[in-house]
Amino acid sequence: MTFDVKKQTPNIIVWVILLTLPLWIEHAGSYIQLGTQVVVMALGAMALNFLLGYTGVLSFGHAAYFGLGAYGAGLTLRYLAPSTGSAVVVGVIAGMVAAAVIGPLIVRLRGVYFAMVTIAFGQVFYFVAFRWNAVTGGDDGLTNWKRQPLHFGPVTFDIQSNATNFYFFVLAIFALAVAVMAFLLRSPFGRTLIAIRENERRTRFMGINVNLHIWLSWMISCTFMALAGTLYALLNNFVDPRALFWTQSGTFVIICVMGGMRSFWGPLVGAAIFVWLQDYLSSLTPNWQSFVGLVFVAVVLFFPRGVLGILRRRALE
Amino acid sequence: MSFLNIDNVSKHFGSLVAVDGVSMKVEKGECRAVIGPNGAGKTTFFNLITGMLPPTKGSVSLDGHNLAGVDPSQRVKLGMARTFQITEIFPELTVRENIRIPVEIAAGLRLKPWMPAGMGAVIRDRVEELLDEGGLTRIADRFAGELSHGDQRACEIMMALALKPRLLLLDEPTAGMGDDETHAIARLIKRIHRESHMTIVLIEHDMRVVFNLADRITVLAEGRPLAEGTPAEITANEKVQAAYLGDAA
Amino acid sequence: MTQLLLLAVINGLIVGAFYALMAIGLSLIMSLSDVINFAHGGFLAVGAYLAYSMAPYLGFWGGLIVAPILTALLGLLVERFLISRVYGRDPLYSLLLTFGLAFIFEDVTRYIWGAQSLPYQVPGWLMAPLSLDLFFLTGYRVFMIALIVLVVGALFWVMTRTRLGLRIRAGTLDLETVSVLGVNVRVLRNLNFGIGIFLAGLAGVLAAGQLGLTPTIGSSLIMQSFVAIIIGGLGSLTGTLLGGLLIGLAMNVTAVFLPSATEAVIYVMMALVLLVRPQGLLGEEGRF
Repeated sequence: MTFDVKKQTPNIIVWVILLTLPLWIEHAGSYIQLGTQVVVMALGAMALNFLLGYTGVLSFGHAAYFGLGAYGAGLTLRYLAPSTGSAVVVGVIAGMVAAAVIGPLIVRLRGVYFAMVTIAFGQVFYFVAFRWNAVTGGDDGLTNWKRQPLHFGPVTFDIQSNATNFYFFVLAIFALAVAVMAFLLRSPFGRTLIAIRENERRTRFMGINVNLHIWLSWMISCTFMALAGTLYALLNNFVDPRALFWTQSGTFVIICVMGGMRSFWGPLVGAAIFVWLQDYLSSLTPNWQSFVGLVFVAVVLFFPRGVLGILRRRALE
Repeated sequence: MSFLNIDNVSKHFGSLVAVDGVSMKVEKGECRAVIGPNGAGKTTFFNLITGMLPPTKGSVSLDGHNLAGVDPSQRVKLGMARTFQITEIFPELTVRENIRIPVEIAAGLRLKPWMPAGMGAVIRDRVEELLDEGGLTRIADRFAGELSHGDQRACEIMMALALKPRLLLLDEPTAGMGDDETHAIARLIKRIHRESHMTIVLIEHDMRVVFNLADRITVLAEGRPLAEGTPAEITANEKVQAAYLGDAA
Repeated sequence: MTQLLLLAVINGLIVGAFYALMAIGLSLIMSLSDVINFAHGGFLAVGAYLAYSMAPYLGFWGGLIVAPILTALLGLLVERFLISRVYGRDPLYSLLLTFGLAFIFEDVTRYIWGAQSLPYQVPGWLMAPLSLDLFFLTGYRVFMIALIVLVVGALFWVMTRTRLGLRIRAGTLDLETVSVLGVNVRVLRNLNFGIGIFLAGLAGVLAAGQLGLTPTIGSSLIMQSFVAIIIGGLGSLTGTLLGGLLIGLAMNVTAVFLPSATEAVIYVMMALVLLVRPQGLLGEEGRF
């Protein structure tokens, strides 16, 4: 294996920026929690993009698995065990199991119909969180719990009160998850998924069980989505049903498109822009929701390839 | 028992009878052309073989396997590979990647989340071999979607071959091409047939290509079999001349 | 108990007819243009608030007629200048576009009319119960049902008897052929969108009389309409109508026995339908 500097340039840039973020973010007029939020949303968007950008399947219901992860983590810390590790594991398993059950119902569907069914199914979890007041806190959200410090034998890593430590904790999980996704996408299995995106009929006539592959891709995508959800809950020490409302799903899709769906790091770029923009707009005007809507419209009409898509096209020309 | 055995298949779409009781036996290593005027039911007949459509009546078997109820992707595993009238490739991937995907599938890696030790080099060699065979090496790094019609077709044929099929089905391989491209594709098919003794069934409009490639020819008209024989027999057949070659001339 | 159940059934049919009204509009647009109109709920809210604002001048009846028409005009403009620009592209883009529009609509209605719930005046004589035994059966509810039946009947007539309707139906089956035959597909899609939005606007006015007005009235109702389409079968208007009535019934009957499962029950129904008949109860096989 040789180290190709040119090919690795984007990776190096991304990791230098992410690793040094705590050093400069406050000088850039922002705060560390916002950086953490970017990484969390980027993980969610990259998980979605595994399905959307690399398998070509139009899922609009991913917020459900994000929310399941979030509630899984929150409920674990609130009722089961004061352990951040267990919270993450329970949240991820919750998302994975839900995806595994719903998968067979939807893998036969395609296009906008797939989108509609996934978004409708996503609402089930919203209503459960909303209605099951006694356990989830209903519309007010799940409170009275906190992420716990990590214990490695005698060493304690305080991610509870130290926001920078928590950022690095999130970044470490992000790195691991992203590495797994990158590895999968560069494997024969990953190439088969890309083949399905490119031409489903051709792929079927190569002897591929397309529905099985879509189901697997869906599971992988939802599992990492749930992981992002657990981190989101830990970041806020709070979950409410809005984390799994259907509008949240659209947010993840626009993040992917805004950054560039065909680029591995696209969703990260999209997340940085979106999270910052939302933060900025909501501090500026109570009508920030309209502006977020305008961002959707503008991206669709004027920047459908996203930031990295445009950059790459420039580079090719 | 022949290698490909089609026994009295019919296909009805409501009251329309697209294919009406066609039988065809293709021997191992044979190149068979299916011809007929427009609306003769050739494409429907083809789809019955590949499993894209279930027949209303009749049966298809490959090397003794009855294919009733076997879906297209499973037929591929039994050794059937096809190309389409409108080229079906992976447009946003390079030609090399287009070939690499079916090579990996044929090697049984379709669900492998990693490359097994030692397989990388085997796969790479096989991809280069196929690129070379199809005359695609010079354009291997270009996006398949940007290629000329003829190169896309050559790419699609090599993708089918990468699956190591025992039966290659080509649906109008030279459709919509100019003389030069038609010639190049015909040469490619001929070479594949000669070098690997591949069993080939093809639908074709261009009579020069048909008479150049086919060992035997089946003629369909209005969904029914009209004649079958060697190119010489077909040329001499009066019924065929009346129904088909007659109005082409 | 019997009366409670009767109440649930009648309420269910009313609510169901209402979902059907919304779902039919969504389904028309989705079948012809391959667009999921997430902004449908936004249009519904616009219809409702327009009727509210016009009530002092036009009264209830004027608003009932004028508000849906104005909403439909807005729909025609939105389709013509925004949505039509993404036809032929990856369906992803049309979904994101209507998603963004949904955000904007909800926020703008909140900006103009405020976040508080507003009451919507329905003529007093319509609000009176029809009989003492059936105290819950107000004139307004009967009127709602009658109007929806009338409108859906008219829509079926348009779809099966008029040239526009025949063209829309032909277009949903095979758009290419229809355009080759000389039908202007752009205009066809525009008018079809307008019809769908008219139904949304009408649903808005009717909902306002029953539920009162909030900016989120649309986004809280749209998911049920999706479920109605999935259960009934995309592309089938009769199926969508049936789907709407079924989920309305299911929700209200469930609310009697197991209130916490009121919403969940329709998703269970949806899962069962997808398991047994992925194309929906009356949908055609192979469309999706």
